[in-house]
Amino acid sequence: MTETDVFAALANPVRRRVLELLMESPRNAGALAEQFDLSRPAVSEHLQVLRRAGLVREEVRGRERRYEIDAGPLTEVGAWLSPFEAYWRERLSTLADILEEEPRS
Amino acid sequence: MTEKKKTETVTVDQFIARPPERVWAALTQPDLLERWWVPSDIRPEVGHRFHLQMPTWGPQPAEVLEVREPELLVHTFADWTLTWRLIAEGRGTRLILEHSGFDLDNPQHRFAFDNMGPGWRDTVLPRLAQLLESD
Repeated sequence: MTETDVFAALANPVRRRVLELLMESPRNAGALAEQFDLSRPAVSEHLQVLRRAGLVREEVRGRERRYEIDAGPLTEVGAWLSPFEAYWRERLSTLADILEEEPRS
Repeated sequence: MTEKKKTETVTVDQFIARPPERVWAALTQPDLLERWWVPSDIRPEVGHRFHLQMPTWGPQPAEVLEVREPELLVHTFADWTLTWRLIAEGRGTRLILEHSGFDLDNPQHRFAFDNMGPGWRDTVLPRLAQLLESD
């Protein structure tokens, strides 16, 4: 698992919503799929991305796959993810825009 | 009570297609700083005490700790430290900010953590933290 995997996994709004749902409670694949206007295989694919990034755990129970959140990777990269980081990213990007609007010399 | 002192640092870098001198001015001149961050009475002089006028928290005290024009500026910001490094890169500048001294056991930091940034992380991360702490 690398940070890139985690952030690539988090970059997608469906996957973020999946994590939010899983934070409420573990769910099986069918229950998750019902929350989205997507095919079940599409939702499964998102779940596999999250699983490969180590953000969710999968448990096979009979014919059902049950998912629960694994926040470990998020805390590892907590500093990276923090709202402060988002805050500064936005501020510094504004700074770059302002300076770059001005003529070079 | 357990003694647990663990502070965190947030590091962000940004390339700016202008030379370090221009970026330096934007960090150290109040009129320019205000255009992309907040109003202040900053002055690049070690020991200078000033305030950063944060929109929701009000004026936050700050003090200049290190000045090496145009490559390094270190100042406090409330009880954190901001370290600004400017590295010439091609025709521009790599600006690296380290925001250090986060103590997640400090309720004020927690409050700030919850309130400073935009986006889903505001709600998701603290909830995740709670989830982990309740384990």
